[in-house]
Amino acid sequence: MTVPDSIGSAVDAASLWRVCVRRLHGVRRHMLVAGKWGLGLALAAEALLTPGFLELPALLSLLTTVSFIGCVAVGMTLITLGGGIMSLSLGATVGACSIVCLLVANQAGVVAGMAASVACGCVLTGAQGAMVGYLRANPIIVSIAASVLVYAIAQPITGNTAIYADVPMPKALLSTTFFGAPFEFVVFVVLVALTQLMLSFSRFGRQIYLVGTSFRAAQAARIRVGPTVLGAYAWAGAASAVAGILLALRYGRASMDVGIGMDYPAIAAVLVGGTAITGGRGSAFRTFGGVMIIGIVQVLLLLRGFRQEWQFLITGVVVLLVILLNSGAQR
Amino acid sequence: MRLLCKLARNPHLQPLGLLVLVIAGFVATNPSMLSVGTGASTLETFATVGPVALGLGLTMLMGEFDLSVAGIFGMAGCIAVLSGVAYPWLGLFLATGAGAMLGAVQGLIIHRLRLASIGVTLGGLLISIGVAYVLTGSSALFYDNMGVAMWMGTKWLDLLSARTAAAIVLFASMAVLVGFTRPGRDLIAAGSDRQAALVAGVDVGGLMVAVFAFSGAAAALAGVLLSYSLASASPAGLSDVLVPAATAAILGGVSLGGGAGRPLGIAAGVLVLSVMRAGFNALGAEPWISEAVMAMVLLIVAALDAPAISQSLRRLSGLQPP
Repeated sequence: MTVPDSIGSAVDAASLWRVCVRRLHGVRRHMLVAGKWGLGLALAAEALLTPGFLELPALLSLLTTVSFIGCVAVGMTLITLGGGIMSLSLGATVGACSIVCLLVANQAGVVAGMAASVACGCVLTGAQGAMVGYLRANPIIVSIAASVLVYAIAQPITGNTAIYADVPMPKALLSTTFFGAPFEFVVFVVLVALTQLMLSFSRFGRQIYLVGTSFRAAQAARIRVGPTVLGAYAWAGAASAVAGILLALRYGRASMDVGIGMDYPAIAAVLVGGTAITGGRGSAFRTFGGVMIIGIVQVLLLLRGFRQEWQFLITGVVVLLVILLNSGAQR
Repeated sequence: MRLLCKLARNPHLQPLGLLVLVIAGFVATNPSMLSVGTGASTLETFATVGPVALGLGLTMLMGEFDLSVAGIFGMAGCIAVLSGVAYPWLGLFLATGAGAMLGAVQGLIIHRLRLASIGVTLGGLLISIGVAYVLTGSSALFYDNMGVAMWMGTKWLDLLSARTAAAIVLFASMAVLVGFTRPGRDLIAAGSDRQAALVAGVDVGGLMVAVFAFSGAAAALAGVLLSYSLASASPAGLSDVLVPAATAAILGGVSLGGGAGRPLGIAAGVLVLSVMRAGFNALGAEPWISEAVMAMVLLIVAALDAPAISQSLRRLSGLQPP
């Protein structure tokens, strides 16, 4: 069998092209690594040079504000790792959990309120996890629909107003600090550590990575894919419930509004931390880094006198930059 | 009867069947619903959601997903209201151009760096929302050209406003483009099997840029026309268009895997959604009921579209040998 010349030369040209592209990619990878370090150093220098950044009030307010988004981002990490791309319903879950927390707390005490809130979070996202894991429904569509459903059902329950706490909030607990760090931040760090322990050292954690890397391979390896995805989603719901509880306890009021606009910063933190959006690669520690980077950028913008509205724009640019910089590492 | 069965199995006609069912359901519960007023309110929703759903649907047909439409929709309204007071056409041109540019850049990035479209368009979404906030200084804007707002509000035959006409023209031209031209066939091929399309010589990169540019421009057009007709724009208020657009596209038979769905199906999907919204309004239901029903519909459709269910359904209906 002879190959016609034209096809042969086309094959040659194609392989030459592939070699060139591979070389270029090698160069690009170095450039990307340099770019990442450059960005990191620039951010650190900017932080050190900005007056007021290293003073205690700025740092403390930074630590408190990032904790709420941070808890949601830790939950989002599990969904992303397990191949669920992202959930647009975690903000709604935060709102619903904060409402459930105060409603139950008013009847049966704060501890019962917290437990009910975590259960509510697990059920809300676990149901979506079941649709994604067992039926293979599209995770983004499922989460969009769930978010609309939760906001809709909350309307008659709350009557579109905020719920206020009738029972005294545990002020002593809320004002405890740990080496100067506010209570919310301690909870956030504990949540990160627990999640990372689960991911690294438990069978469930490793199964999440495997399912996220390749659904079919996980199926072939006889991993029970449905329960794994469901579990990852339920853990994400519990993490969002923690954010809802913290918000409810801190302010003594709860409404669906507290969760609005939490989804996009959370997914931005996951991506900035370097967790792959395609699933299977990343960690809770990375998300912690992403949350801190986004928090630091926002505080710097505020201290430098940029108005609030620039934050969306800069966050968007940062997310896009990080995704571009991470593209080289993914091949 | 056999003809009827054959028609029912045609995937391109299913959205239309759903539309007829929904209309029949509403008319059966309340015959007085069949009025010009309900029709007009249906068409207004159609004009707002339709172009966004069409753009998003075409990116889904390509096997991608454009989250940024929601941001571009709001941003375009703000740009047009700021720049189009003296010359409305200039505002329309600038805003649509900005949407198309942002879309084209996203398409280029997705294709050249082979990135997941969700991540890239998430960046685009945040950036376009940010641009809207920066341009308006976080406040609602009023459009100081009442002549245009009045003209946008007039309806021919009490039914058809300029906005609706624009949406219909957009759908018709896209239907012709996808159904009868080479780029249309290339688009379907690239969405069905990208590797095979590449081998067959389809310019996938060009298509990707074009589809995302169209998606951005269409979302911008809808945002501009809505802002002109409301004579106002705000960076926050107009951004909840993603949910209805995605619902409409999926109801219209667009599959998330790519390759399935046509513009006219998307139009039918948007109409189903608009009829449901207008119908619940006419019945006097509280807004949360219609939202909850819409969300349930989206959940059910997402479940039916899921591989595990759709395969067994196909096996049951005998379309595919077991």
